[in-house]
Amino acid sequence: MKNNELRKVQEMLRNQGYIGDEGIAMSIFLAMKLEKPLLVEGPAGVGKTEIAKVMAKALNTDLIRLQCYEGLDSTHALYEWNYQHQLLYLKMQEQKGQDIKDLEETIFSDKFLLKRPVLQAITQTAKTVLLIDEIDRADEEFESFLLEVLSDWQVTIPEIGTIKATHRPQIILTGNRTRELSEALRRRCLYLWIDYPSFEKELAIVKTKVPEVDDKLGRQICAFMRELRQMKLEKTPGISETIDWARALATLHLTHLDNQTVADTLGVVLKDWQDMRRTQEALSELLEKTGVTSRLV
Amino acid sequence: MRPTLIPTQTALSGNIVLLCRFLRNKGFSLGIAEEADALQVLTYLPIEKEIYFKQALKAVLVKTNDQQNKFDEYYAEFWDQLKKSADSKTKEVKEEKNKKSETQQKEAQFESLKSWLNLNPSEEEMEVASYSEIEVLTKKNFLDLSTEEMQLMMRLLQLLARKIAHRKSRLKKAAKKHGDLDLKQTIRTNMRKGGEIQQLRYSVKKEKKLKLVLLCDVSRSMDLYSRFFVHLIYAFQNAYDKIETFVFSTALHRVTEILDNNEFDKAYEIISDRVPHWSGGTTIGTCLFDFTQEYGYGMLDKKTIVLILSDGWDTGKPEVMKEAMRTIYKKSKKVLWLNPLAGNLNFSPEAMGMKTALPYIDVLAPAHNLESLKLAMQLLQKRRNLSN
Repeated sequence: MKNNELRKVQEMLRNQGYIGDEGIAMSIFLAMKLEKPLLVEGPAGVGKTEIAKVMAKALNTDLIRLQCYEGLDSTHALYEWNYQHQLLYLKMQEQKGQDIKDLEETIFSDKFLLKRPVLQAITQTAKTVLLIDEIDRADEEFESFLLEVLSDWQVTIPEIGTIKATHRPQIILTGNRTRELSEALRRRCLYLWIDYPSFEKELAIVKTKVPEVDDKLGRQICAFMRELRQMKLEKTPGISETIDWARALATLHLTHLDNQTVADTLGVVLKDWQDMRRTQEALSELLEKTGVTSRLV
Repeated sequence: MRPTLIPTQTALSGNIVLLCRFLRNKGFSLGIAEEADALQVLTYLPIEKEIYFKQALKAVLVKTNDQQNKFDEYYAEFWDQLKKSADSKTKEVKEEKNKKSETQQKEAQFESLKSWLNLNPSEEEMEVASYSEIEVLTKKNFLDLSTEEMQLMMRLLQLLARKIAHRKSRLKKAAKKHGDLDLKQTIRTNMRKGGEIQQLRYSVKKEKKLKLVLLCDVSRSMDLYSRFFVHLIYAFQNAYDKIETFVFSTALHRVTEILDNNEFDKAYEIISDRVPHWSGGTTIGTCLFDFTQEYGYGMLDKKTIVLILSDGWDTGKPEVMKEAMRTIYKKSKKVLWLNPLAGNLNFSPEAMGMKTALPYIDVLAPAHNLESLKLAMQLLQKRRNLSN
């Protein structure tokens, strides 16, 4: 029985077209079992956000996404009172001459509460997946807001009281390590680091995501990307770039890489002017390396 | 919702608790909650493969990327040790005892060093007062110091580091009782009371949070100074809250946690153990580049001062060095380079690495005696010279 569950997660990932190693499956499985948030870190474009999407799809639930940015505060993440609505309501009631005490109670009720992603996630009627994306972009203070939700599954609103989760959402946090996350946050989560994939894994991903790509071309693309990541670039391309590139080349009905095509389509992979120039300078050398590897494989 | 934490106590669960303790010693931050999780996880696992067991523990116990990378190594080490201790329990105990007495001896040696690390403020003031008495010391080259002199020196360093760590900013923050009267806030709060002043508001100056990144060269050419420099970074580490420390020779190593969690003697031992190329050759450029790649995004910002301790003898390519220094310069508040050789009167930045780095350094200061260090510390406070 127990076997099945872990295998089920592995199968689920595979069915959704997510190709990962066993560590990833294990972390997701345990996060679901222990009902703990999962903190995923890794370089850009290795499929951190994808995990949440896949999970939501597999569990057949909604995905609620909270994109973090600098200056994000609790009013955007947890809840906010709908001031305009409250004011209008008061104006309307004024003419009726209602009792002030009653009024006070009504204007601080559920009706006037704007639920932001986090509160929304814990008050859903069914289990949801809450994705808190790029948590490291938010300020350190914001992390503290989250702690209550992450460990106790509740949100405290001074005017109403504490709202407990009806269903514990599956929380996924992602980060690019633009800043170190606090110990308190880490302690409440399971941790997973995803790195750039191996050649075989990347090839498998390309084949699943872009089935129309030529076999030889796919190999060459992956080998080229591997060499490219060896170079010390400003912005190392991730898997999503590989997929984009494969798709682009497949659309052009190409069957192999050559100097000219790579030079022309490099903009799909590299997003930095300096990287572009440096790669173009080293292009023939890179292709030579790639060619050698593809012959060996 | 959580079921009973430990369904059945077995030898296995005992070993897991031991593993948690072992990892805690290695710098993992594991609480009882994590131990409980680890035990709970066991009940969910398929039993046919050992690898699942390890993966599951890894998923639960690891909290940072660094830990994830080292987990396998520690895991193997742990079971290895466990086996050994099971084989010859009595022998192990004896050895441990011997070890203890050895460490105790060493601890005694560093008693005085420890004592100044935990100075209370009144003692501190006294130390400052007697500052002039040891003026001779301030001009002595670090190479000629005896152990006691070294300790005295470290005490002074510690004070200097603390002084700089606590600087007042021009920004203000609200205060409860003391401080300056904040007119703006006072009027604002009393507006709601009809403009009648009933309540006063105060403010004090904010403390400037300085962030510091230390990069310390421990290669052979710096051998004579490196022990001293580890002293120095230890002093810094204890004075600043936000500090990251790295040592490098042919590869870069982050030692922040080691310095944080251990006494000086132990920290020094661990660092020289952990850094395989201790006193080997130097590739400053590559190490600095690695730093910008791996940690640059998280640690460098416009509040951060970067302090590099090195003699600038680089055996790598100058382009790499240049690239790395440019990134560091661009992303930080200030770059200070302390070079022990610069104390020599005939010194000019001849070393290839030094020459390459020079355009990207705000201050190149000598660091061969305390006086020069004091000067360097004062330079920490100044603003970046924009004409550079």
